[in-house]
Amino acid sequence: MSALKRVGLLAAFCGVALLSVRLVGQGPQPAAGDAGAPATPPAPAIDLTGYWSPVVHEDAMERGAGSELADYGGFALNEAGRLWALSYDPSRVTLRHHQCDAYVAPYQMRAIGNFRVWEERDPYNQRLVAVHVWGQTTEGHRVIWMDGRPHPAPWAPHTFRGFSTGRFVGNALVVHTTHMKQGWLRRNGTPQSDQATVTDFFVRHGDHLTNITVVNDPVFLSEPEVRSNDYARQPVDHGAWLYACDDGEQILDRPDDFVPHYLFGKQPYAREFSQKYKLPLMASLAGQASVYPEFLERATKATESDGVALLQPSPGRANEVSKAASPEPKDGDIHTFKVRDNVFMLVGDGANIAVQAGDQGAFVIDTGAGKLTDKIVAAIQRLTPKPIQFIANTSFHADHVGGNARMAEAGADLSLPGSFFANVGGSLGAVTGLITRVGENATMIAHNNVMVRLQGANAPAASIPSDTFLEDRRRKFYNGESVEMFYMPNAVTDGDSIVHFRRADVIVAGDLFTTTQYPFIDVKNGGTVQGLIRALNDILKRTVFEHEEDGGTLVIPGHGYVSNEHEVLEYRDMVVIVRDRVQAMLNGSATLAQVKAARLTADYDTRYGVNSGQWTTEMFVEAVYQTLKPAAAPAAPAKPAPAQRK
Amino acid sequence: MFQRSRKSLTVLAAAALIVAAASGLAGQGRGAAPGGRGGAPPPPPPTGRAAARIDLTGYWVALVTEDWRHRMFTPPKGDYDSVPLNPAGRGRADMWDPAKDEAAGEQCRAYGAAGIMRMPTRLHITWQDDTTLKVETDAGSQTRTFTFGPSQGPGGDWQGVSVASWDYPQPPVPAQNFGRGRGGGLPPGGAMKVVTTSMRPGYVRKNGLPYSANAVLTEYFDRFDVPDGESLLVVVQELVDPENFASPYWTSSHFRRQPDATGWKPTPCSAR
Repeated sequence: MSALKRVGLLAAFCGVALLSVRLVGQGPQPAAGDAGAPATPPAPAIDLTGYWSPVVHEDAMERGAGSELADYGGFALNEAGRLWALSYDPSRVTLRHHQCDAYVAPYQMRAIGNFRVWEERDPYNQRLVAVHVWGQTTEGHRVIWMDGRPHPAPWAPHTFRGFSTGRFVGNALVVHTTHMKQGWLRRNGTPQSDQATVTDFFVRHGDHLTNITVVNDPVFLSEPEVRSNDYARQPVDHGAWLYACDDGEQILDRPDDFVPHYLFGKQPYAREFSQKYKLPLMASLAGQASVYPEFLERATKATESDGVALLQPSPGRANEVSKAASPEPKDGDIHTFKVRDNVFMLVGDGANIAVQAGDQGAFVIDTGAGKLTDKIVAAIQRLTPKPIQFIANTSFHADHVGGNARMAEAGADLSLPGSFFANVGGSLGAVTGLITRVGENATMIAHNNVMVRLQGANAPAASIPSDTFLEDRRRKFYNGESVEMFYMPNAVTDGDSIVHFRRADVIVAGDLFTTTQYPFIDVKNGGTVQGLIRALNDILKRTVFEHEEDGGTLVIPGHGYVSNEHEVLEYRDMVVIVRDRVQAMLNGSATLAQVKAARLTADYDTRYGVNSGQWTTEMFVEAVYQTLKPAAAPAAPAKPAPAQRK
Repeated sequence: MFQRSRKSLTVLAAAALIVAAASGLAGQGRGAAPGGRGGAPPPPPPTGRAAARIDLTGYWVALVTEDWRHRMFTPPKGDYDSVPLNPAGRGRADMWDPAKDEAAGEQCRAYGAAGIMRMPTRLHITWQDDTTLKVETDAGSQTRTFTFGPSQGPGGDWQGVSVASWDYPQPPVPAQNFGRGRGGGLPPGGAMKVVTTSMRPGYVRKNGLPYSANAVLTEYFDRFDVPDGESLLVVVQELVDPENFASPYWTSSHFRRQPDATGWKPTPCSAR
């Protein structure tokens, strides 16, 4: 070996040695932000990456074949949660839109099926951006953001896995999750609401990973539910990571408004679990008490009537009120949320406002309560320099049309000045008082009944839509997109419409669907529960989910957070179930007072209930009752006779 | 020119060696024994109590949210749901006879180390001394002692012999990551690892699912502080017992911290 070669090898060796020392030495690093510290993140306390298989040595039946009906022992369910679960008929999953329901984050971690965990790192500085957890079952993909980003706004969409942020604390990864959809704590209908938040702890002991979930659900739980899941590290990739789901026709010829459920006190399998295992009936229904050691003594003293009492709402109690956090800001400001493509939602002034903005101008759906219209106009002007050309109203209710006049005045329909219609309109305007300054304002569109109802309420002419329609569909091609407006007869009023932005695939539902309250069925103005169910089903016929009931067609509710078909579906289910309960009592000739006293909404009141104000739980129940009662027809719709079809 | 290049390479190699050596020395700062060769003798290792980075003491109540039917009530004979017993273990479980246990004075079979943490129970955890952590249960009125250091006693009773150690994050997290806002000191977190052997044969469930005298129980006690203020104790258990189990038996049990002894109600063992 020549000297030169020896020296070269020595140099190479030293280089490798130097590099090795640096690699060994760089494990722990100062925290980011330390004065003078290199911008390298600290090493995580635990490494979760790799392949993990669940060790199902706890609740194997629940997690495998499926849990038994009416087995809610160990869940701190409140009355609403218990009744929701008892009302649940597992055949609900045969409904098209429920067939691909995914698992919410804590149940995903409990599912059988393997998990893969990997890190996402910034390619430029190797900072940890996110930890990804992929569950084989339902292709459950949890993204745990580690980069300090904030959680989304309260009006942002929910997903089954929710939005998670994490940080390392000691030997654990601590994860906080919000924005989940309604789902299951257990697959026998034990519910978790869309208001739940979860704290996860991931801790690793050798090749044993434990995940502890603490579910805080003010709607269905009396206290946080703590469970844990164990996983064994696997050295190789299992390979099978997909879980395709596409809905189909499982049971034919069922009416659209059929939702499998059990009436209160009529759950046919409520005793099956207790009888099979020789337990008191109340044992698995007792909620929070069933979690604690002293429960055994209480259960052994329980009587049959103690259990029977838990199968239906407690009588003589006031309706519960919503425990949900309001997603609507009250800071006196208008907040703009990009829904998809060029469709935005503006929140902060009554009902949600949708804006489609582009080169032609702005197409605005609803105008809010009218208290912050100037701010709304300013927000729209930040989306497009062009004027507001069209305003469409989904309803005549005040919180949807309050800003009509001011917003129309701030806009302009530049397609009209100089046109034939300008001359005709000007002439007509002198007669009708509706079209007075053609093109100088935005054009307001709505179903004819919106105009009629506003005129009937003596609303100012400037706030009344003049471009009205009578049939079931109005359409436009605007900003490069098909925009359709569909009439939904006799739903919450007799003038409701939805708007579908087809390219963005966003539906504006108006008050047919909200995430904040029971539907405001305005019987005096033509609203009916059956019409509302038809309308909700109509929306569901237009939606497509992207993946396992997440994403896809987005729905802007009249109030509340941006949704997709899953929220509409749960809302539809609720309306159908309450209708069926009222109808069942009506079939027994119950009076309105008896119906109200029966607390027929007890399983939904902690989500939607209100006992005072403009629209209460009792008003909703009464509206359902009034529109189902055979002797009472709803107020005559203002809609003219439908067009004859061949 | 050739000579010059060779010299340059030699200098480069030497420099690299020096830097490498320097880096190596610098890199072993943390973790190296203080004093080093020729210095003062290293101080004795801290006691288990002094080395604790998590506080497990206090009253804790079991949250029976999993295996609820099997834990809250006594399951029927032959119900092995979730438990990976092997055929021999199932055979022994099928012979469960609580009356026989009572007659033999063995009502506490389900309250041994491998079963007690799954019971609906409260825990009272205290330091018995600087090297011994004591865990008392009101269910069955049992006492477990975890010794930091060499194992103590011959075992052979329900709780066996338990050796404890602190299991801190690996790789070690530098203290400077945790110092700000915490007053410095050791980083939080970590677990207590407890290995228990020499147990008297008992049951992992009250319906006679057996473990043997040769079983080895490894436990990790983790404390988690939920942001809303409550504290949880999670006990992860791995029971290895080839005589009765087809695979290691893994469970994790949860306890919520209690402010005081409210609800503490010692009861005797029950075989039924």
